[in-house]
Amino acid sequence: MFRILHDTKYDFIRWWRTAAGLTIAFIVIGIGSIFVRGGFDYSVEFTGGTLMQLHFNAPPEQGKIRAALDAGGIKDEEVTTFGSPSDFTIRARSDSTSASADSASRKIEGLLVTGFGRDAFKVVRTEAVGSKVGSELARGAIIAILVSFFVTLVYLAIRFDWRFGISATIATMHDILTTVAFMKIIHLEISLTVIAALLTVIGYSLNDTIIIFDRVRENLRKNRREPLYNTLNRSVNETLPRSILTHATALAATLALLFFAGEVIRPFAWVMAFGIITGTFSSIYVASPILLWIETKYPRENTAKTSKAAKASPA
Amino acid sequence: MSNLQYRLAAIAALIVASGWALFPRTVIERIPRNGSFVTDTVKRVPLKKGLDLQGGMHLTLAVDESKGAVSDKSTALDRALKVVRTRIDQFGVAEPVVQKAGADRIIVELPGIDDERRATDVVQKAAFLQFQITDKTGAFERVVPRLDGIVKDKKLTGGATAPDVRGDSSKSPAIKSLFTPKSDSVKAKAAGADSTSTTGPFSRLVISAAALGSQVPGLFFVAVTDQREIDSYLQNADIQAALPPGKVVRWGADSMVANGRALIPLYVLDSRPIITGDALIDAQPNLEPIDGAVVTFTLSNEGGRKFKNETGKHVKDYMAIVLDDRVMSAPIIQSAIGTRGQITMGGKDLSSAQDLSIVLRAGALPVPLKVEEVRAIGASLGADSVQKGITAGVIAVLLVVIIMLGYYRFAGLLAVCGLALYMLFTLAALAGFSAVLTLPGLAGFVLSIGIAVDANVLIFERIREEMVHGKAIRTAIDEGFKHAMSAIIDSNVSTALTAAVLYQYGTGPVKGFAVTLIAGIAASMISSIFVVKTFFLVWLNRNKTAETLSI
Repeated sequence: MFRILHDTKYDFIRWWRTAAGLTIAFIVIGIGSIFVRGGFDYSVEFTGGTLMQLHFNAPPEQGKIRAALDAGGIKDEEVTTFGSPSDFTIRARSDSTSASADSASRKIEGLLVTGFGRDAFKVVRTEAVGSKVGSELARGAIIAILVSFFVTLVYLAIRFDWRFGISATIATMHDILTTVAFMKIIHLEISLTVIAALLTVIGYSLNDTIIIFDRVRENLRKNRREPLYNTLNRSVNETLPRSILTHATALAATLALLFFAGEVIRPFAWVMAFGIITGTFSSIYVASPILLWIETKYPRENTAKTSKAAKASPA
Repeated sequence: MSNLQYRLAAIAALIVASGWALFPRTVIERIPRNGSFVTDTVKRVPLKKGLDLQGGMHLTLAVDESKGAVSDKSTALDRALKVVRTRIDQFGVAEPVVQKAGADRIIVELPGIDDERRATDVVQKAAFLQFQITDKTGAFERVVPRLDGIVKDKKLTGGATAPDVRGDSSKSPAIKSLFTPKSDSVKAKAAGADSTSTTGPFSRLVISAAALGSQVPGLFFVAVTDQREIDSYLQNADIQAALPPGKVVRWGADSMVANGRALIPLYVLDSRPIITGDALIDAQPNLEPIDGAVVTFTLSNEGGRKFKNETGKHVKDYMAIVLDDRVMSAPIIQSAIGTRGQITMGGKDLSSAQDLSIVLRAGALPVPLKVEEVRAIGASLGADSVQKGITAGVIAVLLVVIIMLGYYRFAGLLAVCGLALYMLFTLAALAGFSAVLTLPGLAGFVLSIGIAVDANVLIFERIREEMVHGKAIRTAIDEGFKHAMSAIIDSNVSTALTAAVLYQYGTGPVKGFAVTLIAGIAASMISSIFVVKTFFLVWLNRNKTAETLSI
């Protein structure tokens, strides 16, 4: 039997201050740069505006595209290559709420036909969104996150104990903050796909926290006299092989997406890859220390509470 | 039958059901062939691909209230939905979706269509047809001096902008901004200095038809380069108040060239239409030797009577055929006209005549609609996404298989078999619920391949612990499954709850992603717990005296 990291006795929790310092520094750098260097880049889904993906038969000069658009009065457009020198995306902000969302894409296409000729390129993707749709999407995403917090909190309070619920929720909030900081640091554009990835990270990280908490719950039942500090450390160590294996397979799938699934999915894969790391980190260094801290503030009445936890769990 | 046989039978049944759900079946479908759509039978795997994977258009339409509030929005939208659906059906698309979303939106999905402009035109065109007599009282000429005065007093400027010769420039978003006074506008200064001149800032841009030798009363011309400026004046509230009562000002649909300048006609019309498109019962595209593409229309009997009566009163007057506030043509009424007439397309090709007859037949939209959202994805990009998604999936499977076999050996092999069934079950569930597989959904599926083995990892680690504690193989396996259960259930249920929240509050692609996630969780619970346990039982059954387990 080939085993890695079994029967380890690392004192993980001891390093929680260092870990907290690191993660707070990361969050401060990321979130801070939102304030210092301006907010996020949002995709056209959120801001309203137009995104066109073009495929040229021969790689054109980027400057020539800009010139063609500027000549027609398209302002503040962003022209970027997309995967290869023949593929470009063009973004233009919408400049009026009353106009139909597709007027800008038509104009851009017309200008490019004038500049390059009709057969020189093909529009492979167009997304045009009015700003109203965008703000509704943003609201929907925030509501989704808040509701998922609440649902998690209630579920864990029922299945474990309110202390576990609060710790897991705070760990999840931590993951959102670090992931958002990460997105800012690597200049990732916020799109619906990225939001979906963020929500998946929440689910994944929660999963990981629950696996460790499940072990804590079990160890608390087995050995009621042991200090919680030791129980937490023991539980993290006992679940370590599982953590390594699962994170390895999840990361393998994520890397496959990152490198092979193409340009459109790449932001999703980036967020997910970071999420696996931050989710693992937060289960050990956020959820556990907070559980410990709540325990010192609001200690369990040893017998009553643990027997309740015992009743709530199966078998 | 023993417990084990029941288990095997259940797994076999699941595999058969999944296979059946995914088996390619013959469906009747409208498919494109040589540019037109024909109904034919095709064989295909019943996994519905989203527009982002198969290419096509997604449109979100909403009631356009920029030109005045709409009172009964919900009813109006229901009627608009019917009109849009009729138009789309005639447009010829394989499996179109036209549905109401929320209280004030219409969603249109057109798989396989990538001519964005033509599709949005057909959907969005109000197709509000009116016949109006051109003004012959000279009312407009009389108010022009007042219009000049207002432009001067209010310091309105049209701005010297680049010409926009496109037909719908009046709807262009840039127009409104032209109202903001520009200090550097040469024209505004010129107009201010020119106060003693007889030609005011408004009138100097408008050319009377008589000057170009046209007999049509109520017809004026404006240089195409000045159209925006005039348009911005005409949208001003003060100017609108000063226009003659009972008259409306409408642009012509097409520009013309005279004296070396491109000119666009501006009509002054009686605001009361003698008849509207409601009375129309048929419209057909035609090619005429002189006029080119035309749409000939037929009016209902009642409409025909009314039309005959009205045109009889207006013999020798000019009648403007106005479609969506644009004058298509303004022929002279030679004698009373009955139930038939035609609209000339002004040199456009037959396909535009076809589209116009589609929208005229389907009827006018009861409310103006605006496009709030367009997503158009070329079929080649969609196919490319599928191809890359499959590549990523295959590589993900390979990596996971290597990790599981390398670490867990024989038990890993069982988990890999479980994983194969997991993929089969998930895809079958998606097909069974006729969920739409989107690109984020595909990414979620690939990701889930890496996460689905988690349950097996948990179980195997438990079995190892039990074995280390010196338990017999059979007991260790039993206990391992039992002890891992609470962690598996709690973690999966909480993820499923998150997915349910996503489904509830997400839109479009995110919703598809959530469905994939939920289907994946259910399939992974079945495959990694029930199926893999059964595999272990089969193995134990064959090796009753096994003392070691390769795990």
